[in-house]
Amino acid sequence: MHRIERDRARFREIVRGRLRADLKKYLSTSELLGRRGEHTVTIPIPQIELPRFHFGDNSKSGVGQGPGEKGTPIDGDPKDGEGSGGAGEDAGHHVLEVEVELEELARMLGEELELPRIEPKGDKALVADGGRYSGIRDAGPKSLRHFRRTFKNALTRSIAEGVFDPRAPEVIPMPEDERFRWKKRAPKPESSAVIFHVMDVSGSMGREQKDVVRIKAFWIDTWLRSQYQNLEVVYIVHDAVAKIVDQQSFFSLRESGGTKISSAYELLLQLVRDKYRPEDWNLYPFHYSDGDNWSARDTERCIAILRDELLPRVNQFCYGQVKSAYGSGQFKKDLDTGLEGQEKLVTVGVNDRDGIADAIRAFLGKGR
Amino acid sequence: MTKRTELSAQLRHEAARIERIARSVGLDFGDVVFEMVDARDVNALAAYGGFPVRYPSWRFGMDFERLDKGRQYGLSRIYELVINTDPAYAWLVRTNSDMEQKLVMAHVLGHADFFRSNVWFQPTDKGMLDRMADHGTRIRRAIDLHGQDTVEAFLDMCLVLDNLLDPFLPLREHMKVRAAANRDPRLAAEPSFEAVRERALTGGGSRPPTFDVLGFLAERAPLPEWQRDLLRIVRAEAYYFLPQRMTKIMNEGWASFWHSRILTGGVLDASEVVEFADCHSGATASAPGQLNPYKLGIEMFRTAEERGLDIFRLRRVHNDASFVDAIIDEDFVARNALFLFGRNGRTGRTEVETREFRVVKERMLADLSWGGLPRIELVDDDHAGRGELILRHHHDGRDLQLTHAAETLKSVARLWGTSVHIETREESTVRWISSDGAEIRTGERPYERVG
Repeated sequence: MHRIERDRARFREIVRGRLRADLKKYLSTSELLGRRGEHTVTIPIPQIELPRFHFGDNSKSGVGQGPGEKGTPIDGDPKDGEGSGGAGEDAGHHVLEVEVELEELARMLGEELELPRIEPKGDKALVADGGRYSGIRDAGPKSLRHFRRTFKNALTRSIAEGVFDPRAPEVIPMPEDERFRWKKRAPKPESSAVIFHVMDVSGSMGREQKDVVRIKAFWIDTWLRSQYQNLEVVYIVHDAVAKIVDQQSFFSLRESGGTKISSAYELLLQLVRDKYRPEDWNLYPFHYSDGDNWSARDTERCIAILRDELLPRVNQFCYGQVKSAYGSGQFKKDLDTGLEGQEKLVTVGVNDRDGIADAIRAFLGKGR
Repeated sequence: MTKRTELSAQLRHEAARIERIARSVGLDFGDVVFEMVDARDVNALAAYGGFPVRYPSWRFGMDFERLDKGRQYGLSRIYELVINTDPAYAWLVRTNSDMEQKLVMAHVLGHADFFRSNVWFQPTDKGMLDRMADHGTRIRRAIDLHGQDTVEAFLDMCLVLDNLLDPFLPLREHMKVRAAANRDPRLAAEPSFEAVRERALTGGGSRPPTFDVLGFLAERAPLPEWQRDLLRIVRAEAYYFLPQRMTKIMNEGWASFWHSRILTGGVLDASEVVEFADCHSGATASAPGQLNPYKLGIEMFRTAEERGLDIFRLRRVHNDASFVDAIIDEDFVARNALFLFGRNGRTGRTEVETREFRVVKERMLADLSWGGLPRIELVDDDHAGRGELILRHHHDGRDLQLTHAAETLKSVARLWGTSVHIETREESTVRWISSDGAEIRTGERPYERVG
């Protein structure tokens, strides 16, 4: 059945076209979250339907079989699902899932938002244990003996010594003639990056705000993953204190209480100093908050940490302020005035889901 | 398919035994070629409607994707596939158990008998395998000449219209030709007899008023030859599959009736009885909101047999609609717990509405008549002297989905080259949709019953 593979490939091509056309829509829904595997993301697409003359909604009734009095609800939508029999004609409401490579999704995102590729900063060329057997040494195991080199040496030597007789061309290699293949260690640049998703989970960050953060985090991960071979993600939540959490809690936690943003920045700094040293890592902290900090003094402290410690170390620091009913949104203003002219700082206000695409463009559009 | 597709010696033996029994109980079938395939391959075959030689199209890929996902997740499983050809090809799935293979073989013979005996299948081409291959070649040639995108776009446009058919046309034409042959036996002996039949089927004569809109367009629309050819192919394949739509309940019911009878008549080992019961009741299980054609069909044949009717005659002359009309009565509705369901506007849920026999039967007949398709007739091909087409939807209480109707109409207009119109109804409002292939206009007026 090679033929079906061709038709399937063509179908997937069409789906990808659809997806590309609808990417804007996916950028503002949480539909794709939780559908990401290691290398692929499973995307639900409505069955691509050819329009036809067919019956509409008012025929959403029919004949069924089974127990029940008048008024007994029958569970589920009757048109959905089919018996084990076969294909079924009414392709009405099926949702198909297609797998798309993350790489490909990132490429679509890059095209849609016109994102530049990231130039990994500095000389973070880590020596990876790659390498090929392209070197030659004069010692080694027999199994790696380079026959031609060894023979050439032996031949040269025996001619020089005058023992070579062309009529009886016998060449006996001596130990010093032997040459061996050797693995040359090739320094293979491998760029590593770490994303810090830092979220304010104080009482004022509601469900919708968190959803916006979730969606944004998903796309940022997807993009950066396509840019670095080695990407780690660290999730940090904070209210008045900051802590590292796993991905699951990051999106579900709902703390309440005050907000001390400096707690998060201090934790970040500690991580950057101890574990993710800027010599080895490209650093991308993203901080999401509704912009309500505990006190002006704490905000000053944040600005100081950013200016003196974090900004010099990171590739870029992104602050996304999600609008909420309770937040004053003061923190962004404070950052913008307190750190004016700092190139590595990007601050963006996001009013709602529709603003996500713009926020991503602002964050990733500089190619840092 | 690299693996062997022949049956094992043991299964060949069983196949022969089951065929013998099937013939002895009165089933009438020609050669049936059984082949063994993997679960994945049978999904590919199913996506192609049973014909591995079909033309390339993304839609088959989509159907395959859906079927194969269902298989991987364990949601659906196909046991067999049989096509209406001579010889009939039947694919058994390698993962079936021995008992299941026996059941499936008996089931397949039921279908093979039905394909051969049922009158609605008389006009179908038993050499369809070759014909499909020929279609594939022609479409691939068009792709070579005009490019994949062009051909694909045009093909999609044709497929949009593949239900604008007259379900009764093939049989009507077939009868006419046969009657002529009966009057003049020399005609039947003529080698051109097939050609005559063929011509009747190509829709050359379709003029308004006609329900064979596809045939009309294929012959009369101003199209380049390759496009006309594609449209004819789409039409031929649509008419080929139509009888299967019209007899789904009967066909599955008949095959289930016989697999049940043959297997319990001595083919099963004692050790297989429980597995058989499990498998059979799985196939004939019904969920509350849907009618399982296997279940409904088998019950109808059993009821007919109890009443002393000749079930072999019934399977010969009926389609689903007329079979329901002949068999289902008050007692049947009560015994099989049939009901009409509908959406309760107040609760927003789908609920049992009534078990009143008349209402239930009326609804079944409405759903099954005309192959389950909306009745759309071409009533004028020169509207206002400008060569515009007028289509009329014969409204039976079920409305058309208007957005899709408008999109579909656009395709008609593009094929036809000038404006086309369709008249339909939504409750007591007559609605018009017009399209010139690019734009869509709509209009309405109150409905007045005429005549």
